Amino acid sequence: MKAFELVEPATIDDAIALLDAGDPGVRAVAGGSALVPMMKARLFQPTRLVSLRRIGGALRGIHAGDGGLRIGALATLTELEHSTRVRDAAPVMSRALRTLSNVRIRNVATLGGHLAHGDPHMDLPPILLTLGARVRVAGRGGERWIDINDLFLGYYQTAVAAGELITEVHVSAQPHDARTWYEKFTALSADDWPTVGAAVWYRTAGDRIGEARVAVSAATERPVRIAAAEQILTGAAPSAETFGAAADAAAAAVDPLADIRGSAAYKREMVRVHVRRALEKAR
Amino acid sequence: MGSLDFARGREVGRSLGRLEAAAKVDGTVEYIHNLRLPGMLHGRIHRSSIPHGRIVRIDTSAALAVAGVHAVVTADDVARLVPDPYYGPAFHDQPILATGKVRHVGEPVAVVLADNPHAAEEAADLVAVEYEPLEAVFDEVAAAAPDAPVLHDELRPAGMFTDLKHLAGRRDTNVALDARLRSGDVEQAFAEAEHVFEHTFRTGKVMHAAFEPMVTVAEPHAAGGLTIHTASQSPSFVRSEISRLLGWPENRVRVRTAFLGGGFGAKLYIKLEAMAAVCALLARRPVRIALSMDEQFYTITKHGATVRIKTGVARDGRMTARQVETFWNGGAYADIGPRVTQKSGFSAAGPYDIEHVALDNYAVYTNEPPAGALRGFGISQLVWAYERQADVIARTLGIDPLEFRRRNALRNGRPHATGTVVVGMEVDAVLDRLAEAMAWDKPFDRGTGTIRRGRGIGIGVKACVSPTTSTAAVHIYGDGSCAVHCSTVDMGQGSDTTMAQIAAEVLGIPTTDVRVVHPDTDVTPYDMATLGSRSTFHMGNAVRRAAEDARAQIERMAPGATSFRDAMLARFAMQAGTVVGFGSYAPSYQKPDPETGLSANITPFWMLGGAGAEVEVDTETGRITVTKLVNVADVGRAINPASVERQLTGAAIMQLGFTLFEEMVFSDGQVLNASLADYKIPGFLDVPRELTGTFVEAPHPEGPFGAKGVGETGIFSPSPAIANALYDATGVMLYDMPLTPERVLRAIREAGGRPLEQA
Ligand SMILES: Cc1cc2nc3c(=O)[nH]c(=O)nc-3n(C[C@H](O)[C@H](O)[C@H](O)COP(=O)(O)OP(=O)(O)OC[C@H]3O[C@@H](n4cnc5c(N)ncnc54)[C@H](O)[C@@H]3O)c2cc1C
Repeated sequence: MKAFELVEPATIDDAIALLDAGDPGVRAVAGGSALVPMMKARLFQPTRLVSLRRIGGALRGIHAGDGGLRIGALATLTELEHSTRVRDAAPVMSRALRTLSNVRIRNVATLGGHLAHGDPHMDLPPILLTLGARVRVAGRGGERWIDINDLFLGYYQTAVAAGELITEVHVSAQPHDARTWYEKFTALSADDWPTVGAAVWYRTAGDRIGEARVAVSAATERPVRIAAAEQILTGAAPSAETFGAAADAAAAAVDPLADIRGSAAYKREMVRVHVRRALEKAR
Repeated sequence: MGSLDFARGREVGRSLGRLEAAAKVDGTVEYIHNLRLPGMLHGRIHRSSIPHGRIVRIDTSAALAVAGVHAVVTADDVARLVPDPYYGPAFHDQPILATGKVRHVGEPVAVVLADNPHAAEEAADLVAVEYEPLEAVFDEVAAAAPDAPVLHDELRPAGMFTDLKHLAGRRDTNVALDARLRSGDVEQAFAEAEHVFEHTFRTGKVMHAAFEPMVTVAEPHAAGGLTIHTASQSPSFVRSEISRLLGWPENRVRVRTAFLGGGFGAKLYIKLEAMAAVCALLARRPVRIALSMDEQFYTITKHGATVRIKTGVARDGRMTARQVETFWNGGAYADIGPRVTQKSGFSAAGPYDIEHVALDNYAVYTNEPPAGALRGFGISQLVWAYERQADVIARTLGIDPLEFRRRNALRNGRPHATGTVVVGMEVDAVLDRLAEAMAWDKPFDRGTGTIRRGRGIGIGVKACVSPTTSTAAVHIYGDGSCAVHCSTVDMGQGSDTTMAQIAAEVLGIPTTDVRVVHPDTDVTPYDMATLGSRSTFHMGNAVRRAAEDARAQIERMAPGATSFRDAMLARFAMQAGTVVGFGSYAPSYQKPDPETGLSANITPFWMLGGAGAEVEVDTETGRITVTKLVNVADVGRAINPASVERQLTGAAIMQLGFTLFEEMVFSDGQVLNASLADYKIPGFLDVPRELTGTFVEAPHPEGPFGAKGVGETGIFSPSPAIANALYDATGVMLYDMPLTPERVLRAIREAGGRPLEQA
């Protein structure tokens, strides 16, 4: 590792000022659990790291209100895991956090870093895609909101521009009848990255599904909503046949990448199985 | 016995806590990893990027230009100090730095020495090596074929093992050793057998993944000597091999170790020691070379193996003949592979009484990283084959798997395939305990829907490596306190506590009053190495004898003394002086006949391990969940029962990882998952809900207080037990480890006539 500059600004404005959009060696670091391994593998050689850890205020805390959850970008995954506000508003997140990596990683990893990294193997992005969320971003030009559906652009690519910081994540308020579930499938050890992540969300109107959201991650190059599956679900009875058909549609829609955790054919099959199981288990 | 006859029999057989437990928890325990010396340089290795090729040119100029870099050492520099730079316990085949050619990806080509590790790392990347690629071979069967590209021009056996001498000068082959055993007439027996079963089983390469990666600090002395501080399981070997390389007498080389953060066989023989020693002597400064976790994947692995096994069975379910042909993927350098091949190879007939046996074992060079010892020394690869096949035979013949094993068990007093008459091996007791722990005679819930449940067992045997020697000294100091000097390395297995218990038992003092001095070749006497579950038996005997010697001296010199303290005062007229008791142990042994592999005395003791598993198989994903895992060992006598149980449960978890998902994935000799982010080892969520390590005791006639070794026993049988449980649950037969979900699902779908599409 080459020598680099580490700065620890106390405010968001100072942090933004220290980020330099023109130099790819300048980056923000929050928990460091994604960035430091990249530095060790020499995939990233920083010239300057802008640590966010001294920044308080808006970047911290988990708040619940009528509009949903407002989570500071520096909230750690452990804080989210144990938050009663998260459990009440989005139990699907609390459950997923328990098997997300391990306790040592969760203690340092932050929600902002989790989303900004753009790694398709993360557990929370598909869940947030189904719950509905938006991400507040600050940069030299001011602030903007990015809808979660527009955040993930590709393999390790997000809509957060160089020089911008995620300051807050807003998870939509959930209707009381929304059913949710996340299925994480690991092919290697139990605490491995997911080989497939499948998140679902739906509401029923009478004996039909009114609105449905299905998202898949890990097997795909970025976490994605599966429109074909959602279309099958919408307006259909929440039955085994419907869920099976939606799962088939999801399997057909994805274009999995083969790696050491499975061939493309196997991952496609796992998308089918886990989308179906998530729909069956949603509550 | 005079008045020194303190209470006896209070220390051995007790589940005492580790002597170093508190220091390990508060972080004060010594590891070489934490050692820093004044003026020390940091070495970083530049490694080969190709699997096989000639080195055309090495350009070190860019690396040397990095601020803080002191030197870049290559084979040319090594040659100035060590004209014949090849080392290895079995063959002198491994160069200190790649010399003329490289034989595997990751082979050390140069070492950058710098003031700080960051400069060294940066500069190591800047070493530019030009290669002329050669054809490479990776598969062990393909590499053994006559037309395969050859890695080494000529075989150069090291002198240490006399039975390898005949291989000297052999050319144009990748087969480093072919070891055979012939007992009876298998061909005739197959012809007469009612059934003949034939299968091929494979296991991939896996890595030790010890918590503390390899680390060595070499410190040159102004007066012309060398101290090597190293995380090594074999300090005595390091001393003799470094001395040989340098052409120095052994008394100029001092090798010391501390606690090891795990070893599992990875830290044996020479790993970084020769490289660090040469760098330090060239630089005239202490040099530290510490590997990252990732670099270890290119340093030493477990052998992948292809095992072809053919078994003849009589109508009554008794096995009459067995032929096993095993190809061991040794990687680019032999390391201890030929020993694995021979010493494990001869046990391929298993713990069974089979009259006709023919075994062929081939240690094969390939262009993969070197393979060496890993807990079990090749046994688990063989047990994987013969215990998987045992269930196929039992199922085909309609015999209960436990009954099948009982019917064929090799019992005390009967000859093993090598001809050695078996003593002190409790097959029936182990099977009984296994049956009990698994509630084998009780009805079993087979699961519903997409979850299928099954259970399986396996049993495996290993002959402790022989012949080897251990020596120990027990010191009684002036105040009557006591220290054990021995070169057994405590790498987490608890040997310090065990040795202290043995000494304390003999001396009649509390274990906590015994200090165990860590290996230091200037101080502690010779030991072959800490490997192969040999320490409790061999070093335990040496320590016992040393303690008996010390005690006898005290009794002679101060008859009537009531404590060591009084005895010292009585003898030396003040509270001073030293009494040194010495003990050594080397079991008797008969070399196997080179043609037949037969020997009347092949091993000092047999290690027997049985395992049972209950699994749940998700038939839609292929994922196996092991819900119950039992390891049963035959230990002679447990010096420290809690320690024994932990060895068995720890081994169960380790082997669970190898069985279910651990595997180094290669592409053209590159390891695609050379990091713990992608090479996953079991975590706590993988540990079975029910995990049991249990043992049977029947004191071994030669063991210290009846004890045998147990460090590896728990590794032997979990894999076939799990695969047999999968077979029981689904009827699916898998021949290759690990049992990844994809492999299992493909097999299930294949069997159901709905195969999953390829790729
Ligand atoms: C061994 C291991 C196992 C893991 N297993 C899992 C798993 O099973 N499931 C899972 O979901 N994840 C897993 N992870 C990933 C983990 O969730 C991420 O590493 C973590 O969420 C990243 O958060 P961080 O705060 O540490 O990010 P950092 O490493 O600090 O940063 C990551 C990236 O985000 C940028 N960044 C950080 N904060 C901000 C911000 N506020 N605004 C803009 N950019 C920012 C950084 O510049 C960097 O590019 C695992 C990680 C490890 C090391």
